[in-house]
Amino acid sequence: MSDTATKWDAQLRKGSLELVVLAALAPGPRYGLALLNHLHQFDTMQITEGTLYPLLDRLKRDGVISANWQQQGDERPRKYYALTTEGQQRLTDLGARWRQSVADIEALLQQAA
Amino acid sequence: MTEREQINTYLTTLSRYLSRLDKGQADEVLREIESHIFDVIEATEQRGQVVDADQILQGFGSPRSLAQSYVEHVTQGTPPPEGFAAIGPVRRNVTKTLYYGMAVFGFSIAAALILTGFANLIVPDSVGVWSAAGGDSIVVGMVSDKVPPGDELTGFWYTPLAVILGYLLLRLTVSVMQVLKRQLA
Repeated sequence: MSDTATKWDAQLRKGSLELVVLAALAPGPRYGLALLNHLHQFDTMQITEGTLYPLLDRLKRDGVISANWQQQGDERPRKYYALTTEGQQRLTDLGARWRQSVADIEALLQQAA
Repeated sequence: MTEREQINTYLTTLSRYLSRLDKGQADEVLREIESHIFDVIEATEQRGQVVDADQILQGFGSPRSLAQSYVEHVTQGTPPPEGFAAIGPVRRNVTKTLYYGMAVFGFSIAAALILTGFANLIVPDSVGVWSAAGGDSIVVGMVSDKVPPGDELTGFWYTPLAVILGYLLLRLTVSVMQVLKRQLA
């Protein structure tokens, strides 16, 4: 990938990662590594552990996600993150805002073409 | 160092940098990162690959920068207690005091050095550096008394020495003041 594209991805993620994480947790609770692996399936979501974990910590403090240590079967306990009611609301709000931004940018690109 | 030792070292270093969080929070962060690392090790071993601590830790960045991203938003997210709004003006006043204090201090000593340097040309007996208290101390400056407190050390050389020192001090004062001024703005 070109240097410009990498920089662009990083810039864009800075503002949108919160929405990304909320959306990724919407289908159901996930623990850190599972969430990271899930995001890594997407081309522009190659974030590092050092970015994800502090962000999860902040979102938890904001009250939009909750965290619980859970043990399933014989596995070691893992910390599962889930959306709170407030998080659902934030996802709806930010999601609508995101779609508006995309529509606006798309309209501008159309005019540019 | 074994892979396990390397991971332990990382976590120990991280815990040191997390000391600004309260203990419960710091332990929670460490426990989660440790759990993540175990998950990765397990998955790697299940695939029959060799565990590479460097590779696992790479994504977390240095312990210092990782801790910083945890601590930063904790400290930023905490509003200062009421009454602390006064800290801003106090800090500014301190800087102002420092600014003018620095100016008075620097310029007056620089001026004294340069003036006595030139005075040494006119009244060489009264100006200079004297050894005092049996060599344990020195006296620098201009004395009215014709009896100096000890042997004069510099003689004529006081002039260039004092002028150069005074000039350097002047330059230093000006640059320190510039730095302080930026802080004031």
